[in-house]
Amino acid sequence: MRNRLFRAAIAPVAAASLVLAGCAATGENPDASASADALVIYNAQHEQLTEEWTAAFTEETGIEVSLRNGGDSELSNQIVTEGAASPADVFLTENSPAMSLVEDAGLFAPVDSATLDLVPAQYRPSSGAWTGIAARSTVLVYNPSLISEAELPSSLMDLQNPEWKGRWGAAPSGADFQAIVSAMLATQGEEATSSWLEGMHSNATVYNNNIATMKAVNAGEVPVGVIYHYYWYRDQDGTAENSGNTKLHYFGNEDPGAFVSISGGGVLKSSAHADEAQEFLAWLAGPAGQTILGEGYSFEYPVSTGVPARSPLPALDSLNAPAIDPSTLNGPDVVALMTEAGLL
Amino acid sequence: MSLQLTGVSKSFGSQPVLDRVSFDVERGTRLAIVGASGSGKSTLLRIIAGFEQPGAGEVRLDDRLLASATTTISAHRRGIGYVAQDGALFPHLSVRGNIGFGIPRSAAREGRIREVMELTSLDADFLDRYPHQLSGGQQQRVALARALAPDPKVILLDEPFSALDTGLRAHTRAAMTRALSQSGVTTILVTHDQEEALSFGDQLAVIAEGRLVQAGRPAEVFDAPASAEIAEFLGAALFVPAHANADARAVCAFGDLPVRHDLSAGARSVRAMLRPSQLSVGDNAGGTAATVESARQSGSAVELELRFGSAAGFSLTHRVPLYEAHRFPVGRTVSVHVDGGVVLYPETAASDPVRSALAP
Amino acid sequence: MPAGVADRKRPPVGLVVFAVLFAAAALIPVGYVIQAAFAMGWQQLADLVFRPRVGELLTNTVLLVVLGVPCAVVLGVGGAWLVERTTLPARRLFAVLLVMPLTIPAFVASYGWASAIPSINGLGGGLLVATLAYYPLVYLPALASLRGLDPALEESARSLGMNGWQVFLRVILPQLRLAMLGGGLVVALHLLAEYGAFAFLRFETFTTAIVVAYQAGFAGPNAAALGVVLAMLCFVVLVIEAAARGRLRYSRVGSGTQLPAPRVELGRAAPFVVGALLVLATAAVAVPLANVGRWLFATDAADWQPLLNATWQTVVLSVGGAVAALVVALPIAWIAARYPGRTARTLEGAYYVASSLPAIIVALALVTFTLRVVPAMYQTVATVIAAYVLIFLPRALVSVRAGVAQIPEGFEEAARSLGVSPFMAKLRVTAPLLLPSLAAGAALVALGAANELTATLLLAPTGTRTVATGFWAAASAIDYAAAAPYALTLVLLSVPAVALMFAQVKARRSR
Repeated sequence: MRNRLFRAAIAPVAAASLVLAGCAATGENPDASASADALVIYNAQHEQLTEEWTAAFTEETGIEVSLRNGGDSELSNQIVTEGAASPADVFLTENSPAMSLVEDAGLFAPVDSATLDLVPAQYRPSSGAWTGIAARSTVLVYNPSLISEAELPSSLMDLQNPEWKGRWGAAPSGADFQAIVSAMLATQGEEATSSWLEGMHSNATVYNNNIATMKAVNAGEVPVGVIYHYYWYRDQDGTAENSGNTKLHYFGNEDPGAFVSISGGGVLKSSAHADEAQEFLAWLAGPAGQTILGEGYSFEYPVSTGVPARSPLPALDSLNAPAIDPSTLNGPDVVALMTEAGLL
Repeated sequence: MSLQLTGVSKSFGSQPVLDRVSFDVERGTRLAIVGASGSGKSTLLRIIAGFEQPGAGEVRLDDRLLASATTTISAHRRGIGYVAQDGALFPHLSVRGNIGFGIPRSAAREGRIREVMELTSLDADFLDRYPHQLSGGQQQRVALARALAPDPKVILLDEPFSALDTGLRAHTRAAMTRALSQSGVTTILVTHDQEEALSFGDQLAVIAEGRLVQAGRPAEVFDAPASAEIAEFLGAALFVPAHANADARAVCAFGDLPVRHDLSAGARSVRAMLRPSQLSVGDNAGGTAATVESARQSGSAVELELRFGSAAGFSLTHRVPLYEAHRFPVGRTVSVHVDGGVVLYPETAASDPVRSALAP
Repeated sequence: MPAGVADRKRPPVGLVVFAVLFAAAALIPVGYVIQAAFAMGWQQLADLVFRPRVGELLTNTVLLVVLGVPCAVVLGVGGAWLVERTTLPARRLFAVLLVMPLTIPAFVASYGWASAIPSINGLGGGLLVATLAYYPLVYLPALASLRGLDPALEESARSLGMNGWQVFLRVILPQLRLAMLGGGLVVALHLLAEYGAFAFLRFETFTTAIVVAYQAGFAGPNAAALGVVLAMLCFVVLVIEAAARGRLRYSRVGSGTQLPAPRVELGRAAPFVVGALLVLATAAVAVPLANVGRWLFATDAADWQPLLNATWQTVVLSVGGAVAALVVALPIAWIAARYPGRTARTLEGAYYVASSLPAIIVALALVTFTLRVVPAMYQTVATVIAAYVLIFLPRALVSVRAGVAQIPEGFEEAARSLGVSPFMAKLRVTAPLLLPSLAAGAALVALGAANELTATLLLAPTGTRTVATGFWAAASAIDYAAAAPYALTLVLLSVPAVALMFAQVKARRSR
């Protein structure tokens, strides 16, 4: 008897929760702007940059876009885990290793050849599974009040030496730094990289991200830090609040520290909006998308022929970066090495 | 036309609570069920109300089957009102909301609310008060008014006065009994208080360990309790060894007394029960002699410890008014008289020669 | 219709089925941890667990709990005693000030401190910020216990010649044991689960390391292995608390009394005590809020744009979570209050164990579970809400259970005897009486959900941006100005729920 009583009482509550769950399950999204038909971008690039891109793209083409933001490694591993069931249509990263991971899992559809033709061969993988959409250079940010220009290291590799103990900072948990290490692995080999990472574990102060690293150098917490160039230029262009006391040092000489990292874009094989996805990628690599890099807030390098970088960036081909095929950069091996070194 | 229980039994787990209880309550009469705590009387009430289902037996109201081991009519379809021990007034509703709770919304609703309030001697000023703004007695009267409002065929009262303190209790009981008799509704009261049970109803039922041990008009039950235990439960009783004679008389420590009822069932050794109120103590001769061993004041009375016979005899406590106590100083030999007859019960091995039970 | 002759003590089968199903669902994260450990195999697990990095994390995490919990207990109990049992000047004001840190999410407080003094970091910084953020979780139950204590005990102790301090140490403190243990347990679990606050301060614990591992490899083996260790730490905390509690039970505090308890004269110590409390309030409330305020001046109009949408999404998700938590809590609360016994204890135990796991593990479990078992639920609002239920269920359970326990069964019976059907009786009597408890439970869950970061980040549908994740996106990019409007919104959203909690504690005496 009680049974029935309680069922009667709980019925409306249960019904309410079912309605609620039903709404949720049928894809009722609390974000009013995102419709079920929108192009889903798994975005590991800077949100602000991608939003500049997608706003212009939507305005031009009328194609709605929805972003899922995260880091390179997180989203690439997520796509691999999701496999064919992935809701993603397009994947954008800051660095190449994450693209390689998805490519190796065979989840990318080939990029339209017209799109590939827009990007010079050194800024995209030979496979054509994805393309470069932007580039960034490794730099050493330093605080002249703590260290003179003459004392700066000539190679990134020097930072593993005992004299650098407690004197440099970096953000090893980020994909940016992991890309730099992957370039080191590709150019210097596993043994050298492994011992460098061990040196880093004992020498470096660990920060959450590039901005925090730069901020620490600016505040005099450490004399030098390994970051990407555009964080410094953005800050200088704004208030210079986090970089006013610092200068940049380019390693050049095809040093691992002069590594230019390629940001990638690709279309998922499982995409339900393949045409729109290819259209978006073509638009990114084309003049409209690249000009946003050359003129917009980001200070990242355009990779298409004929689109100049934003002033006052030094020209991309003047940086003397080591030549590396972006598709050879391996994320998981780097993560394993860094885990072994106790950095992750 | 009546409420009828036939062989109602109930157990909780392996614990029997009610054992084949049967009785009828005639329409418009009041029945008091009295029993010690744990005797199963509340469970009996809850079975009638529909909150529990009997394990066996039947409950019928005007020949309509309300409950058996296999079927049950839900509490809300029985037309049986119920007043719980604490009243169970809904704290979120005013007096009006509480009393009107069981009345369908209609034009007559407000009138009915006022009618039952008047019946239960509740001032109309209380209408918009909330339960926490009422005294305990007022709360119980609201609870009764609420139960009466839907015009039920039967009202069940589960120890409705036990939570009230002594003064309030008598007053509330009087007001509620009056309301019930005016409304003419069939009523069952459950209580552990003998006084209450004896004064409340047209009928009295005694329940012990889940069994209905005696039922009848209150005066009859009190006059002739079916067993020594019932006699003792219903009020202070004295038991003395006795010899029954053939001519409806018995000889005991108090002399040769008439037998009102012989319930000894022909037992060889019997004892006589008499109520302390039958005793009177005087300083003249002629009664049974006893010695005042001690005297202790208790309220407006003095309790005398009286010893009969030698040191090996028995003693009992007897109350005399304070203003008479000076007649019975300690050590004085007094004379004890008995009015009215005795009731005979079989002697049991364990029983004391004399029991005094001034308080239950 | 089942036979009605059943034992009165046994709960209805339908209700138990509901509660068992919910409990089984609640144990999914526990199952995930066990499954992850077994799926990896001993060798891989050992490789991932027995390495120096895990040792560092273990040291940090254990130190955090071992140092942080006593600090929080001292601040919480001391504060409650000062406002409730001494002649502290302006004690009504301090009573409110002391609870105010609850309105500031720990990661917002951390942002306030980190943006004010960038050199605050590591264990010291983590301890400072977390202790200041979480001591009210001890303060509130201590305050409630103090208000429920019978002052006659203290008066008797006084009459036996004890002074104020002796009364505190020998009479009051032992009676606050349950409040201290319960509050300490909650603080410990919060410390183990906190992510945002420590990430700002570059203080690495298991939780922050799991997030990093997640970022480096999604729900991969490294995250799972760290999760196994963290889950074990949580269970260790539970076991320690249970052992320390012994046979004591968390029962409802008595109805209190109208008599005011004696207050200890602070005398000449008063200015120092007031000074110390002002320092505490400054550190816990003024510094974070002042920095939010400072950055608000630096925000431009564009920073306010996304706030409306984020607030709307936060409200939808947290209200959804609160309602769902009530639906899950109601059957078990009903069983626990109306049919106490082994079934009830087992079910309740399952819920509490399940809810002791940090949000990051719950999130990892649900990511893995939805992807593998119910792909249709992957990245849906329903999954986020399920996570909120798992994480914040005890908040609803405690409120609803106390609410049910306060409603005598006699009310429904009285209603039925008046000719009202059982359903209508529940609707007209039980529901209105239960409403305040339901509202309180819902408010507490909604407060937690609105401030939730990790599970929301991992589980929400693409395009979701709550106030907390919006704050996080801006603040972790060190865009402090853009983060400030979100921080302000988080504080404002928290105020009603905290006010409600405080009012409940304050109401104890007037009952």
